[in-house]
Amino acid sequence: MIQNFIYMSGYGFYVWASFALTIIFCGFIYLKTLRTLKKYERDFAKEIDELSVEKKRIVLENSKIASQVLSSYNKSI
Amino acid sequence: MFGLLNNSNLFQWIEKLINFFNSIFFILLLVALSFALIISPPDYLQGDSVRIMYVHVPAAWIGLASYTCIAFLSILNFVFKIKNFSLVTKSIAPIGLLFTCIAIITGSLWGRPTWGTFWAWDARITSMLFLAFFYFLFIIINKFIKDDTKANKISSIVAIIGLVNIPIIKYSVDWFNTLHQPASIKITGTSTIHSSMLLPLFLMFLVLILYCALIFLMKYKTEIIKIKKKNLKR
Repeated sequence: MIQNFIYMSGYGFYVWASFALTIIFCGFIYLKTLRTLKKYERDFAKEIDELSVEKKRIVLENSKIASQVLSSYNKSI
Repeated sequence: MFGLLNNSNLFQWIEKLINFFNSIFFILLLVALSFALIISPPDYLQGDSVRIMYVHVPAAWIGLASYTCIAFLSILNFVFKIKNFSLVTKSIAPIGLLFTCIAIITGSLWGRPTWGTFWAWDARITSMLFLAFFYFLFIIINKFIKDDTKANKISSIVAIIGLVNIPIIKYSVDWFNTLHQPASIKITGTSTIHSSMLLPLFLMFLVLILYCALIFLMKYKTEIIKIKKKNLKR
């Protein structure tokens, strides 16, 4: 039964290759996108962290995004 | 209402949506794959090779829909100069290119057992190749032109020119003598596909749309952070 499932009446190569390539490509793009996002989040949080105390306070007060990125970065380390 | 659309509010929603989509994605993927590879019956003529349809057709739909979306947002961006639209188009383009390439490759794999060849310079396949080319051009322009305003302008022009290709792809099977079969699923009129095959097709479509939403949200979030990072340096 498993052999039939893999063989797919002779079309196994084409069917499995189609699904496998789709999953591989999608998986690759997912990981690449996630890695890029994390890299930018980390760099952005580091840049905020390196600001002077006064400037950091102003940035965090004026930007919800900056404070959110910084707090999630601090949680992750 | 427009207050909800500012980047700060969107950013919070994006975070929540990414977590929600991530939590349901794998369950839905398993269900859809079970239907596509096990539960759905083989075709009376094409046998099990018909299962390729469950990735090929949704991928082609997404490729076409993404480009149409990019082109219309580019037109709106030209007219109203809304910066968020260019962020959206930049985030959609890689997804569109990915699925256009998947549609071409899986179509080629389906073509071998059905038509006896991996490739034919037929109207539908060639116009899909043009679509991939337009996506590629759009991405390259945004990546290599450093001046954002100039990049947006040129890439928008490319997107609008490429819009001509969309009806050609859609109607190529009716206008030209091609190897590709006509559409089996029609928005207006009766579809010529059995419900036992329609269900896995829509499940796979749902999973791939969810995947697109995930990638789009992550890319959009990255673009927002890029802008904030640039503003920090000023």
